[in-house]
Amino acid sequence: MGMYDSIEVSASGLSAERLAMDTIANNIANANTTRTAEGGPFKRQLVVFAQKQDASSASVAAAGGDPSASQAGVQVVGIVNDNSPDRLVYDPTHPDADANGYVHMPNVDVVKEMVDMMAASRAYEANVTAIEESRNMGNATLGILKA
Amino acid sequence: MGDISFGQTIGMLKNAMDGASAAHSAIANNIANVNTPNFRRTDVSFKEALAQSEASMGDPTTFSLETNDPRQFSLDGAHAAQPFSVTSTVDDTEQMRVDGSNVDVDQEMAKLSINSSYAQTMSQLLGNGYTRIRRAIEEQA
Repeated sequence: MGMYDSIEVSASGLSAERLAMDTIANNIANANTTRTAEGGPFKRQLVVFAQKQDASSASVAAAGGDPSASQAGVQVVGIVNDNSPDRLVYDPTHPDADANGYVHMPNVDVVKEMVDMMAASRAYEANVTAIEESRNMGNATLGILKA
Repeated sequence: MGDISFGQTIGMLKNAMDGASAAHSAIANNIANVNTPNFRRTDVSFKEALAQSEASMGDPTTFSLETNDPRQFSLDGAHAAQPFSVTSTVDDTEQMRVDGSNVDVDQEMAKLSINSSYAQTMSQLLGNGYTRIRRAIEEQA
């Protein structure tokens, strides 16, 4: 691995956490959306994180033949819908109310989204700190030549 | 260390910085995957490899300098460092989180901080080592 390659690992964490934040923000924005292009209320969306492996033979060889050392951070492999049941709200005056007067509201729990957002935000900060440390280490290494 | 060796200190410090760099990459990867379900954290240990390469450097088998007076310096132990390889292991210990991951972000941040300080200390020492060599070459006081 090169001197600054670990910054790319942390940057993949930043991208993934930012996408998670975007998805959470979209969930909160649509917490009361009863109409979507697919019909029915909005469905809560979740990001799926997966480990990113740089499995190219060159990087495994560079790691001394150890495949576990060729890890390249995290990636988002998909955004999936949460298929838990809709929230039912009794409001016969609502234009989207069914025959019994119930409105199918999105399955978004705003409190849960807020907690998820805090988790994503803290993870983002952790990655920022890791980048700062990478930079400090790289600068210290470059400073060898200045002494 | 390359072909030219200015004593074993610089070779050791180079190995220490290589090890710290590998450990840093592993910790950064653990932190990037802090929200990945079922992730197994990676541990890089280089202190043992460092001790081994230090032990092997005391053995003057590569080359030596002939001396005919006890006051002359010999080159015992001053040859290039032995090959140094870090080992990374996947930590398969208990699951401490409901999502199956075994990353504790607080521990990783502490390790990151320790490792970064270590690497910066080693690069400072390496810089000092080169400064000494430069002083010797330039005959400075």
